[in-house]
Amino acid sequence: MTTEPAPLPSDDDINPAMIRADLLAGLVFIVLGVAIFYGAWTMDRLEVRRIHPLTVPGLVPGILSAALTLCGAILSLRSLRAPAEQGWQTLGQALFSGAAGRAMAVMALALIYTLGLVGTLPFWAATAIFVFCFIMVFECWLATPRRPLMPSLFWALGLSITVSAIVTLVFQRAFLVRLP
Amino acid sequence: MLDGLSMLGNGLVHFLTPLSLFNIAWATLLGIIIGALPGLTATMGVALLVTLTYKMAPDQAILCLMCLYSGAIYGGSRTAILLSIPGTPASAATTLDGHPLALQGKAGMAMGLATTSSTLGTLVGIVALALIAPLLAEAALRFGTYEFFWLALFGVIISGQLTAIDDPLKGYIAGILGLLVAMVGMETLHAHQRFTFGIPALGGGIDLIPAMVGAFGFAEILGVMKRSAQARIVSAGDRVVPPLSEVFRYKWTTLRSGIIGTFVGIVPGVGEDVGAWASYAAAKRTSKEKHLFGKGSQEGLIAAETGNSAVVPGAMIPTLTLALPGSASAAVLIAAMFIHGIRPGPLLMTENPEFLYQIVAILFFSTIAILVFGLTLTKPLLTVLSVPRERLMAVVYVLCVVGSFAITQRMFDVYVMLGFGIVGFILREMKYPMAPLVLGIILGDLLDLNLRRGLMLTNGDPSPFFTRPISAVICLIIVVTILMSIPAVNRRVRALFTRKRGGVEAQG
Repeated sequence: MTTEPAPLPSDDDINPAMIRADLLAGLVFIVLGVAIFYGAWTMDRLEVRRIHPLTVPGLVPGILSAALTLCGAILSLRSLRAPAEQGWQTLGQALFSGAAGRAMAVMALALIYTLGLVGTLPFWAATAIFVFCFIMVFECWLATPRRPLMPSLFWALGLSITVSAIVTLVFQRAFLVRLP
Repeated sequence: MLDGLSMLGNGLVHFLTPLSLFNIAWATLLGIIIGALPGLTATMGVALLVTLTYKMAPDQAILCLMCLYSGAIYGGSRTAILLSIPGTPASAATTLDGHPLALQGKAGMAMGLATTSSTLGTLVGIVALALIAPLLAEAALRFGTYEFFWLALFGVIISGQLTAIDDPLKGYIAGILGLLVAMVGMETLHAHQRFTFGIPALGGGIDLIPAMVGAFGFAEILGVMKRSAQARIVSAGDRVVPPLSEVFRYKWTTLRSGIIGTFVGIVPGVGEDVGAWASYAAAKRTSKEKHLFGKGSQEGLIAAETGNSAVVPGAMIPTLTLALPGSASAAVLIAAMFIHGIRPGPLLMTENPEFLYQIVAILFFSTIAILVFGLTLTKPLLTVLSVPRERLMAVVYVLCVVGSFAITQRMFDVYVMLGFGIVGFILREMKYPMAPLVLGIILGDLLDLNLRRGLMLTNGDPSPFFTRPISAVICLIIVVTILMSIPAVNRRVRALFTRKRGGVEAQG
């Protein structure tokens, strides 16, 4: 135990990268809004059932998509007008930083487990492999400083067996959930 | 009045059984642990526990979920004080004074004060819930389709405005995205399939629980694992039980924060973090010790903890009476209530009046459990905090997968969880709040159905939406809220008021 906490990076400040990211997000929202508006406009209007034109199924999605397009346009314009020196470079650096790498590693492990292992292997085996790999990757490879191999190996093995056994037993036997 | 007291008594007696007391104990303790662990939020905990309560009796299931909810909101204060990392977003304001107190060697005292403040805050909220909810439910019976349309829109707008105070535009965008998600699947007025792209699994729409587990669970895992450093714990060697004189020294701060927290809870979709910040700001404005705020002020800590805990019962007021969730966690509770055959909304007081008082009783018991655990288990809880996140998050992701799958036992829901997790993480990184998104998913159907039903009733004439008194008032509030979020309008209105006040002062 210590009296000094390790400093954590603060990400509360609006930085040039965020301004550029807002511009990209605004453009995405405009495209999304227009696409949904097209979908709402071309949606079946149920004329055969003689419903009032103001109660068609596409009415609310149409209004919402228009609102999203408007918000996206405001976001884009606001970002274009805001000063963002070296914004693209900072955004690029953020996208290829260590933090982004760690998030990508979690996504990759999660996708391999969910889309690849679950359903292919028995659930307990898939879970044990995932937990083991997750702990090893983040303790022995992506940690700063890296933890010693043997204790991590011991913990990863123990925890993967325990978690897969408990989760399988609790959900399959106690809650009668047919696991994938 | 007497009926209410009698039902409250029945509610308290109803849960005085060994099974209920056992459920209260483990669910509250689990909630405290979940809240204390950075990366696990109250909403995530409730969403994951829903899947474990399917086989329980409805009253016991809701009991466990409510206890976990209130326990988690309190539990966040542990990490806020010891690590300067809020265990849940609700405890963000607690870090400002809680951690400086811990650094001064008063960690035990800070945790004790946080415990007593949380208890008192919840009690203020409980009184409001018992008094206001029946009245609101009665008033809500007069609401028609036009009022419910505005109410749904009001929930999303106000949530977007208040959860993204620095940039309401992002709050609105999150709300609109949530409403658009709710448009997927079969609409309820003409039973027409929308945006299903021929995928049969989309016919029933996007389920709330997998979406929430993704947005609050998987996205949180990504956010936590993104960081390279894990903060270390400050020791808590001093006394944990605070002297009564310290607890009651700031009685007016406690009462004011409790009332503020309760009213923030009543506003749909705003949640505990806003309750804590609003109470903290009010305490700082009126304090005689302003200079201590942010440097280890006991008053600041008390205000933040009372405020966030009072939101929990406050949030149950619109949840139970209008089926409009007062917070993101309350949104999951609505889904859980529907799963267990309980229909929250204006008819609750007619169909199942005892249920409201059972909720009051549950909150009362969970408060007692929080007080007991909070004052006695401080040191064992510290060992929980030393679990490395690498080991914890692997287990949490497995629970996210199983939790999403267990509801309907189809892999599609797991893919929904994955999708919402990744999109939610990207949105959170870009400072988009998640509460309006979730509220949009919940209120989308209410908004869509009531707008088109209203237009159908009037054969396309929209005037009742603006001329009926309650509709007109809610509409006006929405317009003013949106206008005030536009910086140019906001500046001019503020300047106008300042000039007027200046003029009056000059005349005086």
